This record gives sequence, C-alpha cells and structure tokens, in this order.
Amino acid sequence: MPRNKSLVRPVLAAGALLVLATGAAIADASVAPVTNGAAQVAITLTSDNGGSCVLDHASAPAGPVTFSVTNKTATALTEVELELDNRIIGEKENLAPGLPTVSFTLTLGGGSYQLYCPGAAEETQTFMVTGAVAAVPTGGAAAILAEGTKGYAGYVTGVVDAMVTAVGRLNSDIAAGDLGKAKADYAIARPFYEKIESDVDGFVLPGFKPTDNAGNLDYLIDMRASNLDDAVGWHGFHALERDLFEAGAITDATRQAAAELVQNVGKLDALTKTLDYKPEDLANGAADLLEEVQSSKISGEEEQFSHIDLVDFAGNVEGAQQAFAFLEPGLKIIDPDLAKKVADGFASVLALLDTYRDPSVPGGFKPYTDALKASDATRLSQAIQALQEPLSKVAEKVATAA
Amino acid sequence: MKGTDKTGVSRRGLLIGAAAGTLSAAAAPVFAEDAAAPPAPDRPEDAIDLTRSYAFYGTGEQAGIRTPPQRHVFYMTFDLTSTSRQDLQVLLARWSGAIAQLMAGQTIGQVEPDRPGAVGFDTGEALNLEPASLTVTVGLGPNVFTDTYGLAAARPALMRELKTLPSDAFDPHLVGGDLSLQACADDPQVAYHAIRDLARIAKDTGTAATRWSVLGFGRASAGKGQTTPRNLMGFKDGTRNIVTDADFDRFVWLTDGPAWQRHGTYQVARKIQMRIENWDTNRVSNQNAVFGRHKVSGAPLTGTDEFDPPDFDKTAEGTPVIPATAHVRLAAYETNGGLKILRRGYNYTDGINQYGLLDAGLLFISYQKDPAQFETLQTRLGASDALNEYIAHIGSAIFFVPPAPAEGEYIAQAMFG
Repeated sequence: MPRNKSLVRPVLAAGALLVLATGAAIADASVAPVTNGAAQVAITLTSDNGGSCVLDHASAPAGPVTFSVTNKTATALTEVELELDNRIIGEKENLAPGLPTVSFTLTLGGGSYQLYCPGAAEETQTFMVTGAVAAVPTGGAAAILAEGTKGYAGYVTGVVDAMVTAVGRLNSDIAAGDLGKAKADYAIARPFYEKIESDVDGFVLPGFKPTDNAGNLDYLIDMRASNLDDAVGWHGFHALERDLFEAGAITDATRQAAAELVQNVGKLDALTKTLDYKPEDLANGAADLLEEVQSSKISGEEEQFSHIDLVDFAGNVEGAQQAFAFLEPGLKIIDPDLAKKVADGFASVLALLDTYRDPSVPGGFKPYTDALKASDATRLSQAIQALQEPLSKVAEKVATAA
Repeated sequence: MKGTDKTGVSRRGLLIGAAAGTLSAAAAPVFAEDAAAPPAPDRPEDAIDLTRSYAFYGTGEQAGIRTPPQRHVFYMTFDLTSTSRQDLQVLLARWSGAIAQLMAGQTIGQVEPDRPGAVGFDTGEALNLEPASLTVTVGLGPNVFTDTYGLAAARPALMRELKTLPSDAFDPHLVGGDLSLQACADDPQVAYHAIRDLARIAKDTGTAATRWSVLGFGRASAGKGQTTPRNLMGFKDGTRNIVTDADFDRFVWLTDGPAWQRHGTYQVARKIQMRIENWDTNRVSNQNAVFGRHKVSGAPLTGTDEFDPPDFDKTAEGTPVIPATAHVRLAAYETNGGLKILRRGYNYTDGINQYGLLDAGLLFISYQKDPAQFETLQTRLGASDALNEYIAHIGSAIFFVPPAPAEGEYIAQAMFG
C-alpha cells in the first residue's frame, strides 16, 4: 500500500465540475432548509473511498448559512473550508473521528462556492447559493490584511532607521578607540538587524552574482564563523564582535570593518524603503525569524564571542511578533482559533524571555553562557517549537483570505 | 487487536499462508512456556513481509502489545503543555485518526499542498514505503488522571508512579511523561516517520511537547511463534515470555473495572544502559553464570535445550548449578510465586559516549495488569542480580494503555464520559 495518494490537490478544471455534478459525493442537491434564520447544512466526513466529504444539501438561499461538520470515520481528513474564488470564507480544523460536531455560520451572497476538504477523494465540491450576489466586501479580511502590510512596512523602516543611528554610534566608538563603549554599543546595535532579517536577507548588490558572497548584503552585515566564506572573509557585525570581545583590541582592520558596516547599513536603509509586502510575506518572515532562533540563537553560535545571544533571540521574537501583530486583525476573521493559538504562543515565549532580563548588562539580557545553555536551552527551544507549528499555518490562511 | 495473533492479518496470510502450511500460527501447536517442543526450524512469524499491516481500530487491546514484535521501535514520551481537557481530547482524536492512516501505510494528509504558502500535513519521508507492520501504541501517564483534566475519577485503580527500586540510577532527562507513543515496524523509517508526524500534531494542537525517546533496533523479545532473539549481551532474551491467551488474561489485560479499561494494561518503560566493553572482556563462562544460561543455545545451565525448564535445585559439588544471583533464577516465575510479565524490549544504541565507550543497551518495555508485578521482579533483580555489574537503569516511565478504539472513536474516548 504505497503512500502516494493525494500528494497534490487536483487542479479544478472545467471538466472537474462536470464530474462533481454527477458524482456520488453530493448526497442531495435540494436546497438546505432554513431554521432560526439560517440555512442548515451538514457536512459529514467518512472513510468512504479513502476519505469523503458529504454535503447533505448542495445549495442554500442567500443569507446566513450554518455548516455543521462531523467527522464520523475519516482518518485522512482533518479540515474543511468554504472558499469563493479560491479565497477562504470559513473553515474548521482539528477534525477527527470521535470528536463532537462543530459548526460555523457565514452570511453568503448568491454564487458558486467551493467546499474544500484537503486529502479527500474529491477534494473540491461545488456549493451553490441562490439569490442576490453579495456586494464586494470592503471591510473584509483581505482589506484589513492589506492595511496591516502597510503598517508593517512602516515598522521595518523605523527599525532600519534606528539601526543606522546605532551602527553610526558604534562606528564612532571604534574610530575613537573606546573599547568599553564599543562593546556596550555593539550589544545595543545588534537586535535591529535580527528584527527584520527575514525581509532583507536576499539583497544582492549591483554587479554581483547571487552566488557571490562579496555582493550579498546579508553576508556583509551578518556573516559569522559558521558560514565564513574564506574567499570573502570576515565582515560586518561579527567581525567587530570578534575583535572587541575575543581579541579585546581595536585595530585598523576593526576601524575599516566598522566604516564598511556603516556603508552597508546605509545601502540596506535605502533598499528597505522600496519594499512592499503581501500578507504571506509577513507570515513567512515571522516563521523564518523563529527558524533563526532555533538554528543559531539557542545553539549559541550567533554571538560566540559576546554571548549576547539572548539579545538577538529577543530581537528575532520581537520581529516575528510584530509581523504577526499586523496580520492578527485579519487572521482573527479568517481563523480565530489559529490567531489565538499563535498569540498565546508569543505570549508564553515573551513571558519566558522576561525571566532572562538583566538591566545591568548591555543589551538587557543575561549572557548566554555555556552553563546557561546547558541548563535552559531545552526549555527555550520547546517554547519556540510550540509557537513554530501553529505559526507555520498562518501564511496559507492570509494568502487566501477574501 | 484481540485475535490478530490467531488469524494473522490480511496480506501476510495471502502471501505466505500457503507456503507456511501447517506451520501457520493458527494451526501450529502453541509453544507453551517451558514446553519441551523444540522451535520449528522455519518460523513464519520470523519472515518479514513489508506489505503486512495491522488494524488500529478494534474491540480488544491496542496493537503493539500482543503483536509479534517487529524489528524496530521508536519510543517517545511527551509532557502535556495544556491544562485544557478539550485540548487533550483533540490531541487523542487527532493522534487516533493519524495512527489509523499510518498503520494502513497511508499519509496523514497532503505532502505537497498546491495552496501557496502551505506547509505539508505529512512530512513525506515514508512515501512509497510499505506499512511494514507498523503499530503505534498510545499510553496515558499518571498526570492525565487528575483534576486538571477532570479525569481524577477515571484513574485506573492501580495507576501510580513506580516505587523507587534498588539500583535505580535515573538521568532526570529520561524519566516520566504524560503520554507515550510506542511505534514498532519492520522498516525503521516507517517507525520514525510515525513518531515525527505525531509529535508535530502534539505541537500543532498546542497540547504536548517531547520529553524523552529511544530509537531501538533489533527486537529483544519473542512473540508467539517467533525465534527468540538476542540482546546486545549476545544472550537470548524472552525465552519464557508470555504467549498463551490464558497467560495474557492472567497477567496482562485488565479484566475488571470500567468497561473502557478492560483489555487495557500498564506499560513500564526502562532505558537500561549496558557496560558493553566490560561485558565483552568478561569470560564467557562467567557471562553464562550471570545469566544462568548457555550463551549460544540459550539452554539453562541445567539443561541442553533453550526450552528446557531450569532446575534451580540442581547442585554440583554442593553449589547450585544455576547460581543464587543468576538473572534467570531471580526473574523466573518459579521463584516469584508464579509471577510473569510480558516483555517487549528492543536493543538501542546512542553511538559513543563522552568517554569513548559504546553507548548502548536495552529499551525494556513490559506490559502487566498491575505495576506491582514489575516492581516485585525488579526489587529482587535490582538488589541481587549478578547482571547489575554490567547494566544501569537510567530511564523510567509508567503509562496506562487503554484498549483499542472502535472505528469512529478515538483512544480513551469513553473516559471523558
């Protein structure tokens, strides 16, 4: 029994609609009865044909429609969605045999909708609503999400502006040869990049190939020992970190690297002002920042000389949390359960991070020493893992919002 | 599933039933514990048929207990991270549906969704692999049966933490858990995929986080009709394991209490580290004395065949042939008031430890109708077993394993009332 079923959702072509119209999945084409002001439609999931989604009524009059979803025996199916033109209108997740019936109510205008059951033998079925076509929504989730992306663009610009200032101060310290002040200002300058890294890590300077790290702005600003390209060498923040914290000395090379960092952050500033974002960019960016936490902060490899990994950790989390916050009002309309789960996940990560605050050190967080890593890395990783899984579901929801 | 051991399962029967002839498990005489019947040279239960699959739903016990042990295990325990009763219900229901898919050799959902930005439902590494006799057995830890989840009243009568026992040497990172998953299969990647995707559901539903796990290779216990395999000490393990229905009823299954607990059982998991290098440099005559058996044949030191009953009274020149501290003497039902447990262990390795020593041992898993059965045996073994010089119990956990759900229901659904 090879596992090769329903790898890819079949494309819904015109022919597919004909198949659906004659198929057995639609139990009854009659119009759903209206009770308590809402048309009542039952969706039953069964194991028939490897997983079937059965509508008891394939159409309803325009107005409120309540969908009651019961998973009787369908082990392959865990969610159903109602879509209009491939945009999610409403949905239920976490369906499994044995759980009670769940329902959702939507006010629908006339038109042809799709019931989408991912993993079912027939994944998409038509649901007809008869009557007046609904006006194009003006305050719908898509519009709110679009507003959110503009707000987020403003956030990114603000962060990069602050980075320009902080890196300028760090450069002045280094130019003046003030090691103590430079170390403190290094910790202050670091988190800005960590907040917005996922939006800018693809920039290639003009005239360079994408594979050449000498033209990769992310490499030039944020390379570290673990991704050192010998042909291009040490640059950016971590070149400074190595000199300030490991060698404990400011040399001509340090001064040169600091001046170069100022230049490159200036280029970054100009580039970020040209960016605009789709809602899924925010969701994917937030997920990428959490991947950064798992892959380089919890391991302690990001700040191997200064040990301010928890400062960067907090920066990644703040950046992800901000991206999510700009999506949250729209996501609450599409999928309030998911919105709450992700918001709760951020709240618990932030509460955990608070326990590592130390206002007496530059950057404001305890140094991530080997001892602290040994005792606490698992706890930190588990909190991020619990946030990563639900957050990974956000992109497809906001990408398909109506 | 009650009965699978008798009837075999769909494909296996078709593929090798004819060739097996009178050797089929249903027709062959039971290899009763201690029975003198020598093992058949050619045991159908030893054949690996990757197309074989077991049913998840049923009316008796969960699969993976009486099921003839497969070759590989991935065992994992979880901590509940939610205090919501409903979250626990959703997790058990999502796990149940997914396990039914996995055991049938199916994905738990789309691997490559066409929707932009979507992550996969299923991680995909078991695509195109056969079911490989996968069983996934779900256990419920002591903290499940508390007021937190409104389940204090549902606590099985004998559910509790294990007592502290002699020679316990636990690593705090290898102890306990609120839920357990035992995935066994004849293809290690199938077992791995099952646990990986079920752990993902635990996080996705916000309900549970991973606690400890053991990846085991090589079964170290025999089921009915199987040749007795060897543990990493090179000795046959499980020669006198429980095989008869009568013994399962007497020692393994809960037969009273609320209906939803019947055909349930208690699972004890112990991660037992072996001092491999010390063992390997120990003369074999001493190894034989430690176990009370001959290494190659598995026969007791008082006999010539693996299935010869040990004679604990036999002496030579005034000393017992099977030493007083031999493992087989201390573990035998004859010396424990008739007490037995079902053992279903696997050999494991974690590579090389910080001292450059082979880091390996036995994932001991036992099933019994009363945790005291394990405690009684381990109290004696932990105190006096000659084997203790070469092993350490470094991990431990206990779970109640409810019976299999009927189709359309989920694991332990009835306990939520």
